[in-house]
Order: sequence, then structure tokens, then C-alpha cells
Amino acid sequence: MKIRCRFQAEKITPQMAPMIDVVFQLLIFFMLTLRIVESEGDFNINMPAHIPSQMMTDAPVFPDIKVRLEAMPDGSLRMLYLGPNQLGNDRQAFQELNRQILTIIGKPGNPLTKDIEVEIDADYNLGFQHVISAVSACTGRLSKQGQVVRYVEKIKFAPPKRPAGGA
Amino acid sequence: MRIESEKPAVAEVDMTPMIDIVFQLIAFFMVITNFEQTEADERVKLPVDSLARPPKVKAAHELYINIGFERDKTGNKLLSNPFVFLPGEKFRVIDYGRKLQQEKRLYRARGIDPKEVTIIIRSDAEVPTGLVQELIKLAQDAKFEKFALKAIQENQ
Repeated sequence: MKIRCRFQAEKITPQMAPMIDVVFQLLIFFMLTLRIVESEGDFNINMPAHIPSQMMTDAPVFPDIKVRLEAMPDGSLRMLYLGPNQLGNDRQAFQELNRQILTIIGKPGNPLTKDIEVEIDADYNLGFQHVISAVSACTGRLSKQGQVVRYVEKIKFAPPKRPAGGA
Repeated sequence: MRIESEKPAVAEVDMTPMIDIVFQLIAFFMVITNFEQTEADERVKLPVDSLARPPKVKAAHELYINIGFERDKTGNKLLSNPFVFLPGEKFRVIDYGRKLQQEKRLYRARGIDPKEVTIIIRSDAEVPTGLVQELIKLAQDAKFEKFALKAIQENQ
């Protein structure tokens, strides 16, 4: 006896459109979260054109803070100074600079010391990374929330001193 | 005879594809603006610092200057002297004053005072500081007064 199958198998056609949509969304999401270019930040430098001395009527209330960076012949840091004080030549030296700047200004955002200016005097051949570290140590610190707590707003460079026999 | 009135068919608009397309467009423009903001030169290896944060307010007029070394694919320096890189050309730092004077004239022709322009210096971490200072001095001679130094944000 021939037995007929009463139920024909249904052909299931999967819906591809929503799947492709979701795949595209995921692709775009990961493209956006992927850090193609590392995020860059700025340090502002205050370097107005030279003002003739006779035009400067008022002497500043607080003298400039002088930060000196001495270089080794290969461009690495020999010594970091705050005024006449030697602070060292490693990461701790910049942390110490940061602490001492805070001691000088009293507290961040102090209206009495907001006009204090830091002058960075670096040797000609010193690697730029060290100068950025010094600028950063003078600028402030990061709070626990990741916000920048500013110590000094005004930072300038001393005029460049070309080495003898340099171009 | 009973006449059956036809019920008006409710046209259902399928919102799903429209929302999908809108998301695609948003994502596309987000990607495009991300790329537009960078005026980077891949030869410049910026210094790294934890305090380097992107500015909250963008300066009205910005002039980017990239200073770095010619490097091979592995990042080794090919020449010991750094250069100011422009698309398709490079200058010695001390020769860049001419270009800055030209920029000053261009800004003035557009009615912009060079004092309002921020010079954004993207200098390689290994460039001698003196050359960055020389560049600042050349820019001051061209009546630029605002400067910003770029660094890469260090991950905590």
C-alpha cells in the first residue's frame, strides 16, 4: 500500500534584511569606538610680543616662577630646577615641581595668585617631551574625577639660547 | 438587498527601515567629522602627558604647524635634523619664517588680525626645545601671539 505523506515540508525563508541591518549597526558601532587617532590635548602658552619696558607701569605683585631644565648632550634631562632648588631628573622631580607650585599659589584658583606667571627656561637641545612634562606640572593636576585642576594659567618660555657654534 | 460597506484600509507605515537609514546617516557623519578634525602628520610622534585634554572651546582661527623627523616604517629617524612638514613639502625650522610672514599677509587679506590666530604646534617629542622656541619667535616676528602645544593624552 502506498502511503502518502499528508504534510509537505514548509520551506522556511529566513528574513535577511533585519540581520543585515543589525550587522551594519554593530560594524559602525565598533568603527566608532575604535580609536583610530589618539586624542590630543593642548597646553596654552602665553607669548605676547615684547612690550617696551617704559610701557610697563606696574611691577607685578608676585615675581615670575622660574623653572629651569638642563639637558645632557643627548637631549635627555640632566636636572630640573625650581628657582635655585634642584628637584632631580626623573618622574618624581616633575611631581615635586607640581607640589611646590601648589605650595607657592596656596590653593587652586586662588584669586591672589592667578596672575602668577611661570617662565620655562630649557636648554636648546633638550627633548621636547621634558618641556611638556614641565608645562604640565605647572599647569595643574588631575582630580579624582578626571578633571583638570588648574594651578597656573600663564606659562611662557625664556628666549632660546643657541649653543655656541650653532646655526 | 444588504450592501456591505468596505472598511477603509489603514495604511501601516513600516518605520524600521527609515530608522535604520537615519542611524546609518548619523554614524556616517560622526565618522566624517572625526576625520575632519585631525590635521595630523603621521611622522610626528607627539609627547605624551596625562593633563593633555582636548580644548573645550575651539579657537576661532587656528594654524597648525607640524615639526618632526623623517622616519622609516619602523619609526627610526632617517635624518637627525627636524623639519616643518606641510603637505608635499618640508622646511627647515629656521627657514619657516618666510612662510609665517606669508600666512600673516593671507590672514590680513581676509580681514583677520594675526593676534587672533592660535598657532598650534604639533612637535615631535624628540625635537630639541630650542627649535620649537625658534619657531615661536619666528611666529612672534610675524605678529602671532597665541600658541598652543599639542600632546597625546596619556591613558590613566
